[in-house]
Amino acid sequence: MPIKVENLIHIYNENSPYETIALDHINVEIQDGDFVGIIGHTGSGKSTFIQHLNGLLKPKSGKIYIDDTDITDKKIKAAEIRRKVGLVFQYPEYQLFEETVYKDVAFGPKNLGLEDIEVERRVKDAIQMVGLDYEDIKDKSPFDLSGGQKRRAAIAGVIAMKPQVLILDEPTAGLDPKGHKEILQIIKNMHVKEKNTILLVSHNMGDIAELADKIIVMEKGKIVLTGTPQEVYEKADYIEKIGLGLPPAMMLMRTLKQRGKEVKTNIMTIDEAEEQIINLIRSR
Amino acid sequence: MLRDITLGQYYPGESFIHKLDPRIKILATFIYIIALFLVDTFIQYGWVLIFLGIIIAVSKVPLRFMLKGLKPLLIIIVLTFSINIFMTPGEVLYALGPLKITKEGVYQAFFMGSRLILLIIGSSVLTLTTKPINLTDGIEKLLNPFKKIGVPAHELAMMMTIALRFIPTLLEETDKIMKAQMARGADFESGNLFKRAKSLIPLLVPLFISAFRRAEELAMAMEARCYRGGENRTRMHEIAFQSKDIVAFIIVFLFLAIVLITNNL
Repeated sequence: MPIKVENLIHIYNENSPYETIALDHINVEIQDGDFVGIIGHTGSGKSTFIQHLNGLLKPKSGKIYIDDTDITDKKIKAAEIRRKVGLVFQYPEYQLFEETVYKDVAFGPKNLGLEDIEVERRVKDAIQMVGLDYEDIKDKSPFDLSGGQKRRAAIAGVIAMKPQVLILDEPTAGLDPKGHKEILQIIKNMHVKEKNTILLVSHNMGDIAELADKIIVMEKGKIVLTGTPQEVYEKADYIEKIGLGLPPAMMLMRTLKQRGKEVKTNIMTIDEAEEQIINLIRSR
Repeated sequence: MLRDITLGQYYPGESFIHKLDPRIKILATFIYIIALFLVDTFIQYGWVLIFLGIIIAVSKVPLRFMLKGLKPLLIIIVLTFSINIFMTPGEVLYALGPLKITKEGVYQAFFMGSRLILLIIGSSVLTLTTKPINLTDGIEKLLNPFKKIGVPAHELAMMMTIALRFIPTLLEETDKIMKAQMARGADFESGNLFKRAKSLIPLLVPLFISAFRRAEELAMAMEARCYRGGENRTRMHEIAFQSKDIVAFIIVFLFLAIVLITNNL
């Protein structure tokens, strides 16, 4: 289900002293099964952009095609869009409200009008997919869970809707390193299993470089760079200039290079970095 | 959708009205309201309208923003208007079953309607041109003399400051939770009254939880910084009367005088 965005413009508080252009002529195409990383500073328009993709915000002008249907068209039902595009907000645990985890995760699927058996199957799948023990947790109050568990339960609530496109806005914000790693692993596993399109918003360069096969860099409401991680990080100097960091593995390689070591600098992941360092040691 | 509330919203500016002492603005608003209730002819409304018009022009706040404040109160205005038009006894102009429109009723309805609209616009001038912080500072200073008879002036002002401070935060939070639930297929806009009320649960539960959490965090942060009420507190920006405040006060009294002189009483 390809996504195509054409000349998208969004302005907050138009015609008031607080007017800000949040999105400025956004053009992008995302293919089926892509894992897209979106990076940018706070206020660069990332969150505004992703909220357009499932119709929560309406643009001032521009078009968004999902499956060749223009979702900015007023005649398109919001429910139709949200069935296809799932959105996990930042700190999703703050949206938990039901008495039990089961009921909370079932909220989305039920709103889709699915039968009870299907709802149950999906809730079970989703809870297991986020690495929680279904039998143990289903009757617990979501408010009795630990922070990390709450986060997973909330993510399960969106996964259970089985969206073809899943957007996650900083899903690891505020988690400890262990929880951070686990959430990313969950997302990775799901991408492999469900073969859905994933858009991951983050400002952790390392995560994006590890996971994404396409990167969108946003700055001041514009898309300034887009392409495969390799293509994007060719412009490493530019990325540093706009104040976004580089993936740790790449930074290490660049520093080594500066010190005159023979290594490649277009390295994204820790594994690749390891290989480079081993080669370096062996070549001596 | 939730951002349309003007009441209590500040419109930044550098005008004469913006720069007035908040105490003067609060008192002037009181005098304006009193004058408005003394008015008993439409001609006097003309005076009020001219006065208000000048103030709005001087404040440089677009009229659009003033009128926005009327929107949430539209129901009350319509209700007042219709009760007056149908419930006032007198010379019948038009009858529709038990409902009678009287000549006096039409007069009364327009009279009360105008009063209400002028009242709302007049008071939004205060909130649109005064920063909430200055507003509560002004209230605190005005209430200071009553401290002796046990009015907790500082505490009241602090409570108001906190409440005002959290309005935008809670609105933002509401917006965010609403969107998050909408992304999960929640529908806040259709269905009958009962269904709609029920659909608010996924919004209200998280909102209450977060409000309590915020309150607790704020209380702890205040205690951590040794907050213990207003005693001996000094301020970075002391508010003080200036010559323009006196000018403003005289103008407001002139306005009150005009209303009183032209009054029928």
